[in-house]
Amino acid sequence: MTTKHKASPPRGGDTALATHRWRVTPWLFLLPGLAVVTLLVLVPFLNTLRLAFTDSMLLRPGDFVGLDNFRRMFDDERFGTALLNSSLYVVCVVPFMVVLPLVLAALLSGAGRLMGFFRTTMYLPVIMSPVIVGLIWTNLLDKQGLVNELLGTLKMVAQPVPFLTDRWLLLFSAMFVTVWTGLGYYMVIYLAALANIDPSLYDAAAMDGAGPVRTFLNVTVPGVRSTMALIGVLSSVAAFRVFGEIYVLTDGTGGVGGGDLTMTMLIQREGTGLQARTGYAGAISLVMSVILGALLIAQLVMQRKQRTF
Amino acid sequence: MTRIGRGWTGVAALALGSLLLSGCGGGDTAPKASGGKLSGSIAFQTWNLKNDKFTPYFTELIAAFEKANPGTDIKWVDQPAEGYQDKLSADAAAGALPDVVDMGPEAAYTLAQAGVLLDLNKADPQAKGLFLDKAWQAMTFSGLGGGTYGYPWYLNTGPSFFNTALFKKCGLDPAKLPATYDELFTQAETMAKNCSDVSMIVRMPAIENFGEYGVPLMDAAGKQFTYNDAKGVEFVERYKKLYAGRGLTQESLNNLQTKEVEEFKAGRLAYLSGSSYTLNDLKDTAPDIYKNLGIGPRISTAAPNMYIESLVVNATGKNQPLAMAFAKYVTNPANQLAFGKKASVFPSTAGSMDDEYFTKDDGDPATKVRLESAAQVKKAIVWWPPAFSGSTDAETLREQIAQALLGKKTVKEALDASVKYSNDRLASHG
Repeated sequence: MTTKHKASPPRGGDTALATHRWRVTPWLFLLPGLAVVTLLVLVPFLNTLRLAFTDSMLLRPGDFVGLDNFRRMFDDERFGTALLNSSLYVVCVVPFMVVLPLVLAALLSGAGRLMGFFRTTMYLPVIMSPVIVGLIWTNLLDKQGLVNELLGTLKMVAQPVPFLTDRWLLLFSAMFVTVWTGLGYYMVIYLAALANIDPSLYDAAAMDGAGPVRTFLNVTVPGVRSTMALIGVLSSVAAFRVFGEIYVLTDGTGGVGGGDLTMTMLIQREGTGLQARTGYAGAISLVMSVILGALLIAQLVMQRKQRTF
Repeated sequence: MTRIGRGWTGVAALALGSLLLSGCGGGDTAPKASGGKLSGSIAFQTWNLKNDKFTPYFTELIAAFEKANPGTDIKWVDQPAEGYQDKLSADAAAGALPDVVDMGPEAAYTLAQAGVLLDLNKADPQAKGLFLDKAWQAMTFSGLGGGTYGYPWYLNTGPSFFNTALFKKCGLDPAKLPATYDELFTQAETMAKNCSDVSMIVRMPAIENFGEYGVPLMDAAGKQFTYNDAKGVEFVERYKKLYAGRGLTQESLNNLQTKEVEEFKAGRLAYLSGSSYTLNDLKDTAPDIYKNLGIGPRISTAAPNMYIESLVVNATGKNQPLAMAFAKYVTNPANQLAFGKKASVFPSTAGSMDDEYFTKDDGDPATKVRLESAAQVKKAIVWWPPAFSGSTDAETLREQIAQALLGKKTVKEALDASVKYSNDRLASHG
């Protein structure tokens, strides 16, 4: 026989108090986060939005100038260069960021000390400062660096390869550094996703005689599809906002003739320092936000379509 | 969140912090000059000068001032010079600029434009006579109505250093070191023909080099840049010709000054412009290069360049009489001379260069460099226009020249683009 506790009916005052708590308590939990987001995200964003339509300088509030900053942007050859470089970064880096960490995670998901060692090794670049990473690669890729010395010793090149002075080679070198740095981070996300795949699916695939590649394509990939979409979004945003790698590899110059400037480097150049044109920098930031927003929406739409099919 | 948004948040946080700090520590800064007697406290900002070499000098300097002016308190603040413009930006935007700040003309120009700096032509017109006219003029900004916005502090110029071993190796006569740009380019071309692994030049020309070549940099009113004229084009064409003849590497198109010094120390570069400090640095860090060092005057076709540093006074400071008195004290002839000896720089006060420290030869190579540089100060000009931004304008000029050398545009188109960019910025500052 079970005993049921008979709850006493709430009195009118208690009901009101409970309702009040129900309404207020969640907001109290949210308050610190909301305050931080409002202060550090919303207010600066709205300020940037305002600045984009003014001729504001760092030490002068500026006046409303309508679309002047946007007209100037399209006359500014650096803007075209920066937009092209940042877009290329997304196109070239994101596929590697989505696929390579998954392959690595699949290879290193097993137990054992050796696996642990390799997982740790792959994660090491993630915890290194971007500046240190940049300096390491600058020294490796320099005209007198290790890579050129090696290529020269092996008689593979007659002249040093201009990794850090040729516009495109520098851009692709920076992409390589980005992929190298990001592999470990996204690998860890994939490792967590792989742990959620039902092991019986692998058993079933083995019983059906599927090899490693077929198992990977037919079990692993479908099992982490939503994670792949997430990583696609995250790495797209990160790639479009690339700054540190190119900044360090070019010693902060944006490459020979400014050929490797990216959107964030252009914003930094225009929006910092005593002579900062904060209005113009705000306009470039706004355009960048719109492009990123469009990129995210496009990816969300594609995901929905994939689910539909 | 956008990057600019983050940047502004950082500035806002700095501003808030600065306001709080100034609120806490500024209790005794009320203006005090009743009856000509100074009192109260001010903040004095320098960059990279609080170290074993300079701390005793400034500590004694400040103590002597405070002793001579009982009731005054000088708070000396020193910060790393790295990114000093960003620090000044944050201070100025927050209205927390220190009372007296060590500053170059470009930063002073921007702050003066914003009305943050005291015009000494109005506030202390007698001061003009204390300084070399060229030093006073360097801090007088025609583009801002002819106001003078800083007490000139120290000047710096220096000789050209040459690696004579490379001269011999590449078929040049070390006894005939170049002194003008024409000679430099001619010898650089010869070096390029004879040696493929070393260069005479590894950096693009900066705005002061245009001045040294005789290019008019700005119009008389200080409102428009003019370095895209025929003389400017001729100057860059010399670089283009050198690049085509492999006398300039691709790295040279993007190198900064630090890289130039590294290349000279590594024995891959034959020419380096420097100062007395450079000589000591080479002696300590590149003894092999030092052994084969040739020294000549700074390369120039018009007049050699020099740099100037000043002490500006915050126009919104609460104790301007004390700030002006202290800035004038630090920059008086005796203190400038003492600092010049300590820092291997040159005083900007009238008559100080006649001191035997700058005229008497004792046979030491360092003394020779100092004497020649001191003689050079007399004919040198601060070529860098104060309205030319040390970061964005200089970067744009370097990038445009690189594009011209790469053949992406003509030299004239490149210089036109650079001048347009600088003029637009100047106009947008109002």
